[in-house]
Amino acid sequence: MDSIIEVRNLTKQYKTVTAVDGISFIVNQGEIFGILGPNGAGKTTTLEMIEGLKPISSGLALLDGNDVAKHTHKVKSLIGVQLQSSSFFEGLTLLELLDTFAALYGRRVDAVELLAEVQLQEKAKSQVKELSGGQKQRFSIAAALVNDPKVLFLDEPTTGLDPQARRHLWDLISSINKKGKTIVLTTHYMDEAEILCDRIAIMDHAKIVALDKTENLLKLPSLSSSIHFRVNKPCSIEHLKNLPAVIEVDAEDHSYKLNTNNAEETLPALFKHAKECGFNLVDLQLHQPTLEDVFLKLTGHALRE
Amino acid sequence: MRTLLILTLSTFKMFARNRQAVFFTFFAPLMIMTIFGLIGFDNVAKIEIGTVLNAPPTSGTKMFLEQLKQIPAFNIHEGTVEDERAAIIDGDRSVVLIIPFDLIPQVPQINSPKTVIALTNEGQAQQANTAISIVNQILDKTTIALARTPTMFNLVSETINARNLKYIDFLIPGVVALAVMQMSVFSVGFVFTSYKEKGILKRLIATPMRPYQFVTANVITRLLVTVVQTLVLIAIGVFLFKAHMLGSYWLVLLISSLGAIMFLGLGFTISGIASTVEAVPAIANLVVFPMLFLGNTFFPISTMPDWLQKVANVLPLTYFSSSLREVMIKDASISAIAPDLLWMLLWSVVLVITAIITFGFEEKRQ
Repeated sequence: MDSIIEVRNLTKQYKTVTAVDGISFIVNQGEIFGILGPNGAGKTTTLEMIEGLKPISSGLALLDGNDVAKHTHKVKSLIGVQLQSSSFFEGLTLLELLDTFAALYGRRVDAVELLAEVQLQEKAKSQVKELSGGQKQRFSIAAALVNDPKVLFLDEPTTGLDPQARRHLWDLISSINKKGKTIVLTTHYMDEAEILCDRIAIMDHAKIVALDKTENLLKLPSLSSSIHFRVNKPCSIEHLKNLPAVIEVDAEDHSYKLNTNNAEETLPALFKHAKECGFNLVDLQLHQPTLEDVFLKLTGHALRE
Repeated sequence: MRTLLILTLSTFKMFARNRQAVFFTFFAPLMIMTIFGLIGFDNVAKIEIGTVLNAPPTSGTKMFLEQLKQIPAFNIHEGTVEDERAAIIDGDRSVVLIIPFDLIPQVPQINSPKTVIALTNEGQAQQANTAISIVNQILDKTTIALARTPTMFNLVSETINARNLKYIDFLIPGVVALAVMQMSVFSVGFVFTSYKEKGILKRLIATPMRPYQFVTANVITRLLVTVVQTLVLIAIGVFLFKAHMLGSYWLVLLISSLGAIMFLGLGFTISGIASTVEAVPAIANLVVFPMLFLGNTFFPISTMPDWLQKVANVLPLTYFSSSLREVMIKDASISAIAPDLLWMLLWSVVLVITAIITFGFEEKRQ
């Protein structure tokens, strides 16, 4: 796959703080790339340096082969940007706003069609202040698409939205990606990153602590799944420990917890064992590792602290 | 070019749909015009004169009194000594004349002159003296007539249709200048500070647009508004308040535009300094409010104390309103107001430079 963004040793140094500390990564054409991390980790600063909104202190950012620091203007015409605070002019309708934004790129746009793409066609004559939070974000994405950009940057697109609006926005982001747009997004929601992103860079304290395909991150060797269940009659802890891939067994009365490296191996063996010994498994639950666990493992602290 | 055109169109729409902006551009100046116009500082109040007679007057005295009542500047009251004294003490009379009933007797008595006593209100000495000298004149003329002396002098007056400049003529150019100032300073101050605060400017520079394009579009919009505003306010002044507009409209619009550029510079400077929208009126009024009264708008600078005149004479608004007034009520030529225009140009350069220094699209952090 071709890379569309290349970042090398990117650094943002303020007087007393280093907001971004020498990070490097590549974004491939056509993927959804996530930067996950807590507030203040340096996600937005990273994004704004690549977008040409903030001067780069040191290091390099290339967008479609263009050095962002040198060809800022060119880069801005190639990308679509949604900022964290999505405010727009007052006094203009959504259609007028999209036409105005298209003019900023020296382009013309079918504003009605673009609004339909984000399911806001019935709000065409409304102003931004009349929209709900989710609608505002969708409009903000529409405004970021007026120049048919090569890369779409979304900075915490679902922060502050209710669950339904978040899901709606996820669908929209996926559908835009399926039409071939590369998307770079930041988020501090694990589930969002897990569901949307092909690859994730986990940022903490201005650095990238892990970068991989989402499924690989979840298979970090030190992470285990756990199987919880109760039984109708006691069974031997020793037997349970000998089941494949099991690392540890906790028992309390008739409740058991098995930690396993591979739940797919352990579960069939557990069912077989229960049948042979003649006991029933009640309230069976499987807990698989989430990015939350990955984050905790990597940084030693929880994501939201 | 197309970008600039569309941006200008959009900014114009935003301005026109902003009710506050429209109110301050047209209705607030109109209210000022109406209020100050109604007060009408040039309607000289009539002189209140009390007359007291000690008995029913002779026919000659009666005629004399009638003559007094004909004088438009007088408001004649008749009453008893006690009533009129009380009225003068209350400040309701400038002067009270105590007149003998036989002031002008049937048969002239040359050797025993009659006496009119005038009680004058000390606090209204000017009005009282004016009244007394007019009364004196009438009495002199009566003496001459009764003595049958031939008239030696004749004063013939002729009415000329002059430009009777009134307070409203002074006021209208002042209000126009004031309105352009308020519109320029506040519409830019509020709007751009809120763009900055809400991150709209940041969103704009995330596009390949150049900041000057957006600023230019906004300046063009406000210059168009200035032209419309100036013409509308002058038209209202001329048709509704019967004010005079004697000079060239082109020159008036030139002055207004230069004034607008000057105050747009101030507006951008203010939004460069203010970090929140709430700070805008505080900062803006610090500069604008003194000019409101010292800028030769409502009151002529010549009525101020000397030291204040020195301050007033360098204010940007003073050059603006003075030159506008010269053109509107004296048909001044461009060379006659050249010094004012040069000062405005100087102020424009200064304020635009401070705007460039203080105002920026980029964040100031780092």
